[in-house]
Formats: sequence, structure tokens, C-alpha cells
Amino acid sequence: MRKLPWIIKYRPKKLDDVVNQEKAKEKLTKWVELWLKGIPEEKAVLLYGPPGCGKTSLTEALANEYRLEFIEMNASDYRRKVDLDRIVRTAALQRSFTGKVKLILLDEVDGISGTADIGALEAILDIINVAKNPIVMTANDPWDPKLRPLRDVVVMVEFRRLTKTDVRKVLNRICGDEKLVCEEDAVDLIAERCEGDLRSAINDLEAVSEGYGKVTLELVKNMLRQRDRDYPPFDVVRKIFISKYAWQAKQAVQQTDLTPDELIQWINENLPRQISDPEDLWRAYDYLSKADLYMGRIVKTGNWDLLPYAIELMSAGVSLSVINDVKGKYRWVKYNFPQKVLIAAKTKESRQLRDSLAEVLAKHLNISKAVSKSDVIPFIKVIFDSNPEIAAKLALGLNISESMVRYLSPQNSSKIIELVNKFKVEAGKKAERLKREKISERKLGVKSRSGTLDNYFTGNP
Amino acid sequence: MSSQTLTELLWVEKYRPRTLPEIVNQEDVIKRLQQFIKEKNIPHLLFAGPPGTGKTTAAHALAHDLYGSDYRMYMLELNASDERGIDVIRGKVKEFSRSRLPVNIPFKIILLDESDNMTADAQQALRRLMEMYVDVTRFILIANYPSKIIEPIQSRCAVFRFIPLRKDDVIRRLRWICMNEGIRCDEEALELIYEISEGDMRKSINVLQASASLGDVNVSNVFKVVGLAHPKEVREMIRLALEGKFMEARDRLRELMITYGLSGTDIIKQVHKEIFGTELTIPEPLRVEIADYLGEIQFRLVEGADEEIQLSALISKLALLGRAAKTVKTTK
Repeated sequence: MRKLPWIIKYRPKKLDDVVNQEKAKEKLTKWVELWLKGIPEEKAVLLYGPPGCGKTSLTEALANEYRLEFIEMNASDYRRKVDLDRIVRTAALQRSFTGKVKLILLDEVDGISGTADIGALEAILDIINVAKNPIVMTANDPWDPKLRPLRDVVVMVEFRRLTKTDVRKVLNRICGDEKLVCEEDAVDLIAERCEGDLRSAINDLEAVSEGYGKVTLELVKNMLRQRDRDYPPFDVVRKIFISKYAWQAKQAVQQTDLTPDELIQWINENLPRQISDPEDLWRAYDYLSKADLYMGRIVKTGNWDLLPYAIELMSAGVSLSVINDVKGKYRWVKYNFPQKVLIAAKTKESRQLRDSLAEVLAKHLNISKAVSKSDVIPFIKVIFDSNPEIAAKLALGLNISESMVRYLSPQNSSKIIELVNKFKVEAGKKAERLKREKISERKLGVKSRSGTLDNYFTGNP
Repeated sequence: MSSQTLTELLWVEKYRPRTLPEIVNQEDVIKRLQQFIKEKNIPHLLFAGPPGTGKTTAAHALAHDLYGSDYRMYMLELNASDERGIDVIRGKVKEFSRSRLPVNIPFKIILLDESDNMTADAQQALRRLMEMYVDVTRFILIANYPSKIIEPIQSRCAVFRFIPLRKDDVIRRLRWICMNEGIRCDEEALELIYEISEGDMRKSINVLQASASLGDVNVSNVFKVVGLAHPKEVREMIRLALEGKFMEARDRLRELMITYGLSGTDIIKQVHKEIFGTELTIPEPLRVEIADYLGEIQFRLVEGADEEIQLSALISKLALLGRAAKTVKTTK
């Protein structure tokens, strides 16, 4: 027989198999029973709660127990409007030939992104409106503002975070079924470290037993150390800041996908938000600055052996710098995405203009772009801001573009550009006049009679 | 002003000496360089000295006097601060140095400006090229800090030291430009320009031209230009930091770096000026303590990877010192 992963093998078949979500169970069964009688007013429910607490499992168990056809759309599927229309709409509108009710699960609706899944939420609302089948949705965070329209039309069902005891109960049952030698301490540790996430606990148990055929405390400790989950950047930064011991801070760094130079930006952005005591802040920044020093040396020399020092200084160095206001590190503050990256993206255009202007000047003046930026552009800006006429002449002389003029003096740009165009016309006329004078001089030189004709044709006054 | 013309150049370009005899100061250097012209031969050259003392101008004038007004045909100019990696040396420089010589000239010239910004690798590669192609190519290296040029390169070059320009020389030049442009200028204003630019001719002329665009070149216009050209955010940033407002000070820092495009080193230098200036009232011992940390951060800036992190460390230090002093007041 093909070996199934335990999270599928031990998925609850009956409602009774689902641990410790009695309230949710009760609410859901009542709702499904309404569907068996007809079409109730509330056609959709939103199950919410932390990961691995049984939202999806309970839905499946429900479908099993009431013998409903089960249709699932997961976060990993595309959820653009067209996809939803194709799959869900048909399911929502049609009963099967036997008249069987279809239970439709839209998993992880909080994962619908605003940009990639354009129109998805509106489509879901539409579908709920016309649905002839029950619709279940799940979310970890139902309070996401983008879900507000959804919250208004669904029944909200809360799932509790599972306790350590709940998790232990399930793990022990699996150990029994698999006839595994399981040390009680080992199961305890898995149950504790999973933070109420039963799915990850079962995965952990399976991983240990698969590798070694038994589950001992030693093995579990080893595995948990290697296989820590990736946390989103905010959590990693928070974990670093609240570390009491150096190893905690270092461990937090290992739990992220961020590269060291991304991580140092996250820390740099949020450090002053978390730490307010000036002495603590300076101590922390001095370490961060030294961490950056090592990052620079790594880039310049290619010597990656220096990386551990950079990591230790930016993590442990920062968190252990807090001495005066220790409570401050635990204060909850809102963190920000590194602004440096955002600002740089926003100002890209003007920086590019400045760069190309610097290049033009560098060629004229035989200097570097850096010197153009620091020693020349500021003074040109003064000229452009205070004297449009000279500015226009310079713009012509240096042959700089209209957008560069706008960069140099936003307030005078239209006036300067107007003058530039006027001067251009004048210069053109002047050149023409010179040319014509030359031609007529030459013609006079050969004493041709056409001199008069020339004036006749051009109508030159 | 030259209102009859329809185009204008920056005066630094317009009044740049084109030939060696036009260069009015650096007499020793010029005399020796003119000897090379007479012999129609030059060794590898290293021009060293502070900014705005005429190093690049002298290099161009030298090439002009050797080859005539089309001298650029026989010269490759590179600015090492824009193109400083080993790739450039192996690519452009090598290509040019080994290319065949036009029949009418004895050698080509490669001009490497700001060569003290070249990486160590690039300098090593350069050293080999200087030896291999010396029969057809001569190098002129220009640097503010010759000590950053590796020893083996220095020993292959005839070193010329450009001294800071004398006050009289700068002022005479400025007055001469004013005369040519037909603008009125105060003697006091010219002296002030010299003081502000610290003997840097390029900066002096830029200040002069900007002041002239405001009307006459007088003391008040010069001050106005300097005020406009140097963002007040630097002082603002220091003041906020000393008052313990870290986040606001950091916003100013970001503005300086991103909107004004100042480099970390530029900002450090301006902070340094402000710390010892008169606009900020800072207890005397604090000025020294700040200067100490400024030096440290400037060093780390050169070695480090991210300028904002380094300058944020500086701000946090200012915030700490500001709280300790508690007596910081600002006059403006």
C-alpha cells in the first residue's frame, strides 16, 4: 500500500475525531443541517483561527459525516476572477444529478492578494449571493481590512488555539496506532514547540519516527534545532529584539529567509521604533554599525568567513545592548517595512535625472560624477532658482533636456523652457541671417544681377 | 552681462586655461611640464594635491601643448571614481594602451582622474600595463591623496605636487572673470568667496557665477548662495538629534541622502563644519567628543556597506550626548 503522509492518514474522518473545537462543531453542524432542508439565509461561513487548529479538517469531516460532495480551492490555486467563475460558480449554482448538496471550501481567503487576485473578493461575494450550495471559507486573520465586505455576509466561526494537552492527545494516539516507541518527554517537547499547530506537530513526529524508527527526547531536540520554521520578517525582528540570551538572537536569525543585508535593513528600520532609551539605542547602533563594517569587508574582499561576526553583532549585539530600559524591548510597537527601499523606488526618477545631469556636467568640466553632484549641481540649482534668463542660456549652452531643467528648478521650469525656445528661434533667425548675408556677399562678389532677384524671392526687408 | 549672446557655459569651463602658459599659479610644476613639451617626451606622471588646484586642467593643457587642439584623439580619459574596477583597467585601458600608434605622434596618453579611488586590484593590474606598453603609452594619474596609490605605481611615476592656491591668485582670477563678464564685484565679496571655498578654484568660480546670477557680486549675495547651495537639513538634523528626536533626525538624514543625493562622506564633512561653526551652540567639550565619533564613523563609512546605518549610528550618538549635556541651545 502506498504510504500516506500522516497528516492525511490521520485526518479526522468523523466530527468526533476533531479535538477540542466543540463550539465550532456545534455551530457548523447546525448550519449544515439547515442546508439539508433547503437554502438558508446565511449561505457562507468563515472559519478563523491559528494555523493547524483543525479548520480544514473539521470541514472535511463534516462533508464526510453528512455525505456531501466536497469541492476545495486552496491558497495555492490561482484565484483570479476567471478561475473562480469557472470552478466555483458552476459548483455554487448546480446541484448534482442526485440532488446531493456540494460543500465548497475556499481555503485561506486572507491569502487573496490585492494585486495578483484582482476581483477575486468581488467574485466571491457575487457567488455567495447566488449560491445554491454551502460555502466554507477559512482564514488565519479574519480582521484584515480587505475582508470587511466578506465579514458582513458570512457567519463567523472561531476556532481556538489547541492546547499542549490537545496536541499531546493526538500524538499519543498516532504513536499507539503506528506501534511506535515514543518517549513521553519527546512527545511533550513536540507538543510544546508546535505552539498549538497540530499539523506541524504531526509532521514533526513523522519526521523523527521515519528517520530513526523511534521517538526519543534526544532525537526530537536535534530535529527541532535543524528544522525551525521560517518566520516572516516582522516576527524575526521582534524575536531578535526580545532575546535574553545571545543564542536566542542568533537562532532567530536562522529562522528567516532574509539575506543578511536585507535583515540588517529590517533591523535598522525598526530598531529606533523599539528602543527609546538613548544610551541603549546608541549601544545597539554602534553594534549595528560594526556589523555593517563586516558586511562591507565581506563585499570588498569576498571573505565570507566574516559573516558570523556580522550576524552576531546585528542580532545578539543589538538585543543585548538594551540595559537601561529592559521593559522597552517587550513593548508592542508597530514595525515598518524598510523605508530605504521604498523611498529609493519612489525617488528613482529624480535620482536618474540627477545622474544623467551629473554625467553631462562631468564631460563638460572634466570631473567625476560625484564631484558634479557635490560641487557643481547645488550652484547650478541656485542659478536656475534665481535667474531664469541665465538659466535658459546655460540650458542651451550645456544642451540639457527639459526634464533636467524641471529637476533643477521646479518653480521656474516653465519660464526657463519658454525662454529656451525663444532663444532657439532667435538663434535660428540669426544663423539664417548670417547665412543669407554670406550668400548675397558671395553673389555680389561675382557681380551677378541676381542680387536683386534674391531680395525679390525672399522678401527680405 | 553678456546679454547679446544666447547661450552660456559654466564659467569653470568657459575660463579654463587651455594651454600650460595660461595657468597662472603652480609655477614650479608648469615650468617642469613645459620642459617635457620642449623634449617632446614625458614619463608616467602622478599629479597630487587638494581639489580645485588645477591638476586636471594641467593634464589637459599638457596634452594640448603636445598634440595641438585635437589632442583628445590621442588621449583616453577615465574618471576612476566613476569607473574604478579592475574590469575597466583590463578592458578599456588595456585596449587603448596596446592599440597601434598613429604615425605622427610618439605616444598616447591615458588620463586617470581621481585615481586614488581605484581599487587595490585595479591598481595592481594597472601597474603591469604601465610597464608592458610604456613604449607607446604614457599614463597621467591624478589623485587628492597620493598615499592611496600603491607604492609600485608611485615609483614608476614622476610625482608633481600641486599646492593649495594662494589667496591673491584666486582673487585675481575671480576679478579677471568679473571684468570679462562685465559685472561689478566687491573686493570683500571676493575674499569671502576664497574663504568659503578653501582655496578650491572650481568651487570659487561656481560660487562667483551663482552670486552673479543674483545681481552684483557682493557679500550678501555670496552668503545667500552659500545658504541656498548647502541644504539646511544638515543643521536641522544635528539639532533634532541633539534634542533626542532620533526618528525626526533620521527623516532629515534620508532626505539629504535621497533627495539631495549627498554621499555619506559629504554629510559627515558638513556635520563636522556645523559642529565647529557658530550657528549651533554646543558645550565646548561636546564638540570634541562629537568630532571623535565623527572620525570613527567616517572611517567606518569607507569600509562599511550601508551609509545610512553608519550615519544613524552617528545620530544616536548625538542624541545620547545631547541628553547628557542638556544645555544645547540653537541660535537659529
